Amino acid sequence: MSRRDRKRHLSDLESDIQNHIEIETQDNIARGMSPEEARYAAMRKFGNVTRVMEDTREVWAITWLDHLIQDLRFALRGIRKSPLFATVVVLTLALGIGANTAIFTIIDSVMLRAIPVSDPQHLLVFSWQSHKENPDFIGHSSFGDCTGPDCSLPVPYFRAMRTQGSDSFSKVAAFSGPIPVNFTGNGPASRAQGTYVSGDFFLTIGVSMFLGRPLGPADDAPGAPAAIVLDYAYWRSAFASDPTVVGRAVRLNDTSAMIVGVADSRFTNLTPGKFQDFYMPLSLVTSVRSQWWSSGERLMNPGAFWVVVIGRLQPGVSIAHARATATTIFRNETIHGAKPLFTEADDPTVNLTYVQQGLGGETAQIAPMLYVMMSAVGIVMLITCANVAGLVLARSARRQKEMALRMAIGAGPGRIVRQLLTESILLSTLGGLLGVLLSLWGVRAITHFVASGYNDTFPFVVEPNWRVLAFTLAVTFVTGILFGLAPARRSARVDVNPALKENPSASSKAMIGKRLRLGDALVVAQVAFSIVIAVGAGLLVRTLENLRSLDPGFNTENMVIFGVNPVLAGYDSAKIMQVCGTLQQRFAATPGVVSVSYSGDALLSGSRSGTDVHLDGATPQKNEAVDTMAIGLDFLSTMKIPLLSGRAFVSQDFATTATTDAAVKSAHDAGEAAVKKAAPSAHLQFPPIKAAPIPVLVNRKLVQEFFANHNPIGKHIGVSDYNPNPGGLEPGYLVVGVVGDTKYSDLRREVKPAMYLPLTNNSLHFELRTAMNPASLIPAVREIVASVDRNLPLFEVMTQSEQVDRILFQERLITRVAGFFGVLTLVLACFGLYGLLSYEVAWRTRELGIRMALGAQSRDILNLVINQVIVIVAIGLAVGIAAALGLTRFMSDMLYNVRPNDPGTIAAVAALLAVVALIACYLPARRAIHTDPIVALRHE
Amino acid sequence: MSTKDELDRIEMLQGTLDLLILRTLVLGPAHGHAIAKAIEFRSDEVLQVEQGSLYPALHRLIKRKWISAAEGTSENNRRAKFYSLTAKGRAQLDLETRKWDKFAGAIARILRPAKQEK
Repeated sequence: MSRRDRKRHLSDLESDIQNHIEIETQDNIARGMSPEEARYAAMRKFGNVTRVMEDTREVWAITWLDHLIQDLRFALRGIRKSPLFATVVVLTLALGIGANTAIFTIIDSVMLRAIPVSDPQHLLVFSWQSHKENPDFIGHSSFGDCTGPDCSLPVPYFRAMRTQGSDSFSKVAAFSGPIPVNFTGNGPASRAQGTYVSGDFFLTIGVSMFLGRPLGPADDAPGAPAAIVLDYAYWRSAFASDPTVVGRAVRLNDTSAMIVGVADSRFTNLTPGKFQDFYMPLSLVTSVRSQWWSSGERLMNPGAFWVVVIGRLQPGVSIAHARATATTIFRNETIHGAKPLFTEADDPTVNLTYVQQGLGGETAQIAPMLYVMMSAVGIVMLITCANVAGLVLARSARRQKEMALRMAIGAGPGRIVRQLLTESILLSTLGGLLGVLLSLWGVRAITHFVASGYNDTFPFVVEPNWRVLAFTLAVTFVTGILFGLAPARRSARVDVNPALKENPSASSKAMIGKRLRLGDALVVAQVAFSIVIAVGAGLLVRTLENLRSLDPGFNTENMVIFGVNPVLAGYDSAKIMQVCGTLQQRFAATPGVVSVSYSGDALLSGSRSGTDVHLDGATPQKNEAVDTMAIGLDFLSTMKIPLLSGRAFVSQDFATTATTDAAVKSAHDAGEAAVKKAAPSAHLQFPPIKAAPIPVLVNRKLVQEFFANHNPIGKHIGVSDYNPNPGGLEPGYLVVGVVGDTKYSDLRREVKPAMYLPLTNNSLHFELRTAMNPASLIPAVREIVASVDRNLPLFEVMTQSEQVDRILFQERLITRVAGFFGVLTLVLACFGLYGLLSYEVAWRTRELGIRMALGAQSRDILNLVINQVIVIVAIGLAVGIAAALGLTRFMSDMLYNVRPNDPGTIAAVAALLAVVALIACYLPARRAIHTDPIVALRHE
Repeated sequence: MSTKDELDRIEMLQGTLDLLILRTLVLGPAHGHAIAKAIEFRSDEVLQVEQGSLYPALHRLIKRKWISAAEGTSENNRRAKFYSLTAKGRAQLDLETRKWDKFAGAIARILRPAKQEK
């Protein structure tokens, strides 16, 4: 029955009833009564008109809805009556719910994302394991796709799976990468990320094209014309969404290729957090390859583990069966193949996992951070609830008279609870709405910040969706019920009589006791939670400070760094050195540049190189790991790394290195050829390679560890004897100088023994020391590089301090978020204490008035009010510190140079909280002191 | 609290009153006052209805679609609601009447021997 029906039927009720009484009156008059008598009799006979009308309405009532509307009206009226209370509650909730929703939005997009492919629940990723951890790989590359076991596999295995595994898999595909590629043919040369995919990749995962056609098996056949598919986002940014892009020719390093399609906009990558700019067929690896890969063949070689294999399960086939098939084929290839990598005893096996779990990618790095954040927001939410519950509790105590009155006129306890719950749910809904708005802003802020750390877009697609909305809705309602329930239940138990008499100090002492205990417990909980969060935040701030103020061993101020990759441009050693020389001269002549150099890796960029060396006189096969760094002329002076003894590099050192490298390489090739030709049993012996050792600079740490602090100048360091050059012993290194220690890849890593080598053939980073704001020099830098060589794309252009910020990005992110939560919890605790105390003072106004009338001084009153706060806060501090000591242990991995139980931090936080508590009591205490005894006594 | 007992009593009365209203409307549409008068008259004035209680009962019957209401003009020339029996109401009346007969018969059978014993 709709509300409209009901309205129609009830509209004439009153006139009908009046009519009824009228007729009866007429009848009575007809029977001879006087008009008044007749009317009176008629009315008596009819009964109570109001009640009849109410009963009739009741027939139509959809009771719960009526009550709900009534409750809502009531709640709104209540909120309007105390706007300050409502504002504080809604804001508190908005902060709590907003923070939770923001973090959950990000967690959702990172952890719970749906893979943008068709039918992902039948898509499996292959990984392998064996007792032999390091078989004789010809090459092994992984690109961070798999979080757990090794999922790099050789191409021949992938092909065998495709042809022999069709009883278990309807389709099998492989991919690898992305690798940086010099992309030309579309404006100035740029560096683009290309992923190798097998011909049936798009078919297997079921992703359609936005434009053109997908790569097909024909594109992957040997000798097929090179074809690529663009990523949608790259097409939009680099090609300005040009619809005529299909059919255009471009150059990848020095191979020309044709664009045949643009992938669907929803597909970014199978592995979360990874992006590429384009897809190219696996077969292109023969011409377009990573500079880091040795010259080995990668398509036929069963020892080159470099592709990720995925397969679509045949309908009705169990994973166990598919796994058995995959393992059998793997054993065939690796044990019984032409070049066995394993024996039966190594027990090589293949595992299959669903791509959703198997391809974790970046998730593995971000997840722990997100879980820390989620725990923090969880605690914040608890504080929010405790806080709001405290406020509602205080308010409901003030409303006891109202509740008692309502019970006295017949409202059932259920009705009262429901009404209070309606009020709290209304408040939490308002808070939730505001919170959602806040979270939209929060998500933008966080992803923006994260993206700045990646120097790129946020690697995950973040968008609010139904899961997030459901989450917020659930949080909102649970919060509303949680903070509404306790006070509501208390109100419903009100004893009508004493509450109406309202002499709280005398008649309901027991009840005050109860209320105070709950209120106190809430404040203790808040203080304790705040301590935990604030101590955690404090430790992180200390860590960041420690890392920031750390001396990395070189001067990080006023520096521009950027990468160029002449190797990808196809340059040989001589050309590279020539280009570097030209660039160095041009930069040095640029106004504002103090000095300039270059190196293989940039310091503090997160990446580093290393090698094993064999010290003269050490036992055979005992090698030492050292960090290595290839550098150009003037590197030490540009970076301001002190030269402790010996000399820096001179031009002759670079020529020597180039000659030695060439000799080593040709000896290697000759040796390998000789081994191939000779009988397997022959034991070939070559004399040591005739070339000068490579001049190196070593750091102080290396001198301490390998030369027992003796002067190493002129000493020789041998190459690792683990995998000797088949063409004879390599000349090794000659120490020409000792330099100060520097941090290498990042700030946390300990300084290791390190060797600086002359840079002759490498991808490299330029370092420019400037006399002015380094960022202002960046446009000039780009111009100079473009004018010297149009084929050299720049990458990772930034100042050294940006570089440091980037390397500290995770710390900065966590610290910022934790700091925000720290401040938030302190503010919330402040609200909580304030609410409790104001209530306390209001409740005791009469008592305070009497005391003042009897001569109590302001100080006595102050003591009276504040003593209680001190006790509560002290308990909260004790509980919080104990909890913090227990919990911060789990953060020790995140900290640097500060212990998880750092007394300084804990003391500082405790002091801060005490100050906050004092601020919170200031207003109520002042009100207490300024109580006018007369007013106070009349209060009731 | 006595709420529960009261409810039971109201319900007893309701059932009976509903039956009487349905029976009255068999004769044709009538407005509220006429129905009340008819019940009083036909029961030889034994059943004194508190006339007000008629209205909730009428609305309950409308809600159940046993009767319908239409605008009309009463004898004192005022607009009034005239209630008439629906097909569904007629069927319900038959059912209720049979039930009532059964009930009254049973009560009577129990009460009569008791009278004889006296």
